[in-house]
Amino acid sequence: MNPRIPSTLNPADLLTRVNRDVERSILRARNGIRYVRGTHRPALGMTPKEVVWKRDKAELWRYRGGDRRYGPPVVIVHSLVSRSYILDLRPGNSTVEYLTREGLDVYMLDWGVPDELDADNDLERYVDYYLPRAVGAARRASGHDEVTLAGYCLGGVIAALYAAGHEDANVRNLILMATPVDYSEMGAMVALLREGRLDPDELIDETGNVPADALYSGFYMLAPTVEVAQKATLLENLWNDEFVEGFQAMATWSRDHVPFPGAAFRQLVDLLVRQNILMTGSMPLGGRQIDLGTVPSNVLNAMAERDNVVPPPAVEPVMQLVGDAARREELRLPGGHVTFGTGRSAFKHTMPKLTGWIIDHSDKPKPS
Amino acid sequence: MPANQPLWLRAVIRLERAIGEPIESAVRSETYFDVISASTRVRRKVLGTAEGVSKRCLHLLNLPAGSDIRTMRQQLARMERRLNQLSHDVAELDEDGSGPEAR
Repeated sequence: MNPRIPSTLNPADLLTRVNRDVERSILRARNGIRYVRGTHRPALGMTPKEVVWKRDKAELWRYRGGDRRYGPPVVIVHSLVSRSYILDLRPGNSTVEYLTREGLDVYMLDWGVPDELDADNDLERYVDYYLPRAVGAARRASGHDEVTLAGYCLGGVIAALYAAGHEDANVRNLILMATPVDYSEMGAMVALLREGRLDPDELIDETGNVPADALYSGFYMLAPTVEVAQKATLLENLWNDEFVEGFQAMATWSRDHVPFPGAAFRQLVDLLVRQNILMTGSMPLGGRQIDLGTVPSNVLNAMAERDNVVPPPAVEPVMQLVGDAARREELRLPGGHVTFGTGRSAFKHTMPKLTGWIIDHSDKPKPS
Repeated sequence: MPANQPLWLRAVIRLERAIGEPIESAVRSETYFDVISASTRVRRKVLGTAEGVSKRCLHLLNLPAGSDIRTMRQQLARMERRLNQLSHDVAELDEDGSGPEAR
């Protein structure tokens, strides 16, 4: 028997259901018109913040709103291919808001939107120039000597190289969220860039960067028809303002990629994809060899079990490569690549577990 | 799949999966990536040839081509970047301390 149809239906129940359906139809019509017109877009990245450091397009934001009870500060290093507001999507559905509310001093290193001026940005520029300065600014602003560094996706690679390559980095805790190290396991995401297929320069446009559209196409082709099911689900839930806002926020983010700086892209393809050099445990950068095993921090390797952008097998080797074996921990989370920023699973699993680990490895608040 | 979904939505999702799964396995195959690589190369070659022809025509008339402007923009961007770097370096020297941690 269909569970949606009760065995007996009295007139009062029937009237209630008719009323509910009429109300929902009106709301569907209203929200449908708003959706098609593109009005009432949800506000994104709204947790109050201030810029504490800026260089070129890179900015370090410090989030306000919480009682900062724990130290050292948490500096989030975002990826180079997407917008950082995935970690601060909407009020009530935001990782940085959650961390801030739990008493952590949260900073976000946002790389901005690269253009022609950034075409020569190589990995050294991020690891040895921007990141040391941003971390220094976070230390000064917070008054702590150490930091907890949390890298998301490619930001995790940059954070790990910095922690290993700078003796004065003072990274107490290194959190790698969906950070790929074994590029032979990256599947479709990098298949076009393997030896014998496209060379990096064939994807770089006249600005000297890989255009955002090319990156979007790569993500889109992972599941080209799934949008149909998503739109059908939206249609069914169109009466629900909260659902529509969440859908629009995610749809905006998933289309909102940024160009990838050409010089860093060439290195990524040559060293990471074709040579799979991180799997050797070290990488040449800025005229020296960075050994990932020398990271002197507590390391948390967090991965999403249903991540189809950075699959778990690409992330798992962190547990053999980065830092000291006695100080590494692994965190497996249900959900996909965006579970670090949004979704039911993020609230139920990701945010509490990440926050708990950070607090366990932070200074305890002094009794007032 | 949640039990409270209406039948039409379940049908759409099932249909999408029925069509989507073979498409996904096709676009993740080696053949697909080989075809995309080859077509990207051909497209760039055709565009490059067309650009070369139009450039020669424009130069005959002593007019700048799009590629000239592109090259100039790249050179200007490099110059602007260098100037920005120099001004940052000077600002950092003006501040106290010498290492990046002090800046």
